Amino acid sequence: MLALLAESAVATLSFPPLSGRVVDAADVIPAATRATLDQKLKDLEDKSGIQLVVATVKSLDGADIETYANELFRTWKLGEKVKNNGVLLLVAPTERKVRIEVGYGLEGTLTDAISKLIIVNAIAPRFKAGDYGGGIERGVEDIVTTLSTDSGEWEKRPQLRAEDHSLLQNFITPLILIPIFLFVFFSIRRNLATPGARQLVRRGNSTVFIPVSTPWGSSTWGGSSSGSFSSGGDFSGGGGSSGGGGASGSW
Amino acid sequence: MTATLSRLRAAMATVFLGLLLSGCGFNNIPTMEEQAKAKWADVQNQYQRRADLIPNLVATVQGYAKQEKDVLTAVVEARAKATSIKIDASQLTDPEKVKQFQDAQNQLSGALGRLLAVSENYPDLKSNQNFLALQSQLEGTENRIAVARRDYIEAVRIYNTELRTFPGIIWATLIYRSNKSMAEFTATDNAQTVPQVKF
Repeated sequence: MLALLAESAVATLSFPPLSGRVVDAADVIPAATRATLDQKLKDLEDKSGIQLVVATVKSLDGADIETYANELFRTWKLGEKVKNNGVLLLVAPTERKVRIEVGYGLEGTLTDAISKLIIVNAIAPRFKAGDYGGGIERGVEDIVTTLSTDSGEWEKRPQLRAEDHSLLQNFITPLILIPIFLFVFFSIRRNLATPGARQLVRRGNSTVFIPVSTPWGSSTWGGSSSGSFSSGGDFSGGGGSSGGGGASGSW
Repeated sequence: MTATLSRLRAAMATVFLGLLLSGCGFNNIPTMEEQAKAKWADVQNQYQRRADLIPNLVATVQGYAKQEKDVLTAVVEARAKATSIKIDASQLTDPEKVKQFQDAQNQLSGALGRLLAVSENYPDLKSNQNFLALQSQLEGTENRIAVARRDYIEAVRIYNTELRTFPGIIWATLIYRSNKSMAEFTATDNAQTVPQVKF
């Protein structure tokens, strides 16, 4: 119910879908730049877990860029849920506005003042000259540099990831094992029900079911765990939120 | 004797009903209340953050624009007044108290707006790095205040709706009788717009 109400509040604004790390809905970034940006953003996430997303929109739907950026950030849920380590670089070429929206967890590193400096020095002058690709690229570089200097963010990463994974396994394990046990249990019973099977059991051949079920069970097990790994390739938000940190500017 | 017995029976029926329906939103009212209170704490934190920025800002402006005494004292006074009014989470049901808080903060917003408008007249001040950093921090804080207020208003709306609609109204009348709806915190637009300066 809470989610439903929250959605209705957002319904007045229309957002592009989160199709990747670079969402160029206004179509102002050259394709080559888009590819290099995407790689840069992916490297950042692989190293530090920080989700930095670049978005350009055709229109802000009449809202100011602060409100739009905050709602968009919360809709996309950038950054990990616990750490809220997401950043959104939003460009609205029609309104000539740009904003760096910073998730709760990164407010101490990418402060309002630094965000403002990046916009004023790296982004706005290039946008003024009509070079959207160059401005965004330099802005992203500066943001990445700022975020990469925070070493604490880097060190904690492996531990958290391991924890997260074990949590997932704890949840999935019974889901997989219970059907296996049921399958084994019922197949034993069915075999016991047939007259011939009773003899098999008596001869001590009931163990035959266990080696049959084990390779089948282990193969499912392996399949599912690799599946949870591959889900990292498809890009989506991690559940993070933002409380309006960052800075905006115009050109 | 029969009266007490029937009252006892009614009480027992209530308890039984409570156990039976404990899954049907019994926890909603306290949960939503706590959420709204937490959002209120956010609002107050962000206002406090703004108040903390002001002494630095005033000191920086003073270095360049001593003659703007009126504007500077107005900011200092408004800050003192705004920080003196604190609202405990339990006082959120008192509309008068919430209005006082809001008025004091709005007054501070107005005074700050005038200060920033006046500082436009001093090119040296405008190009001062410290002032620029403070200005961006202040902008950021104003935006955080706006977000925190929006979140609080939404949380209060959800809580108040739960108190007045089915099935929450059953729990509100049976068990959470002391829970009153929280004061609406109107989103005033003049808090965000810089007031006009007339010469």
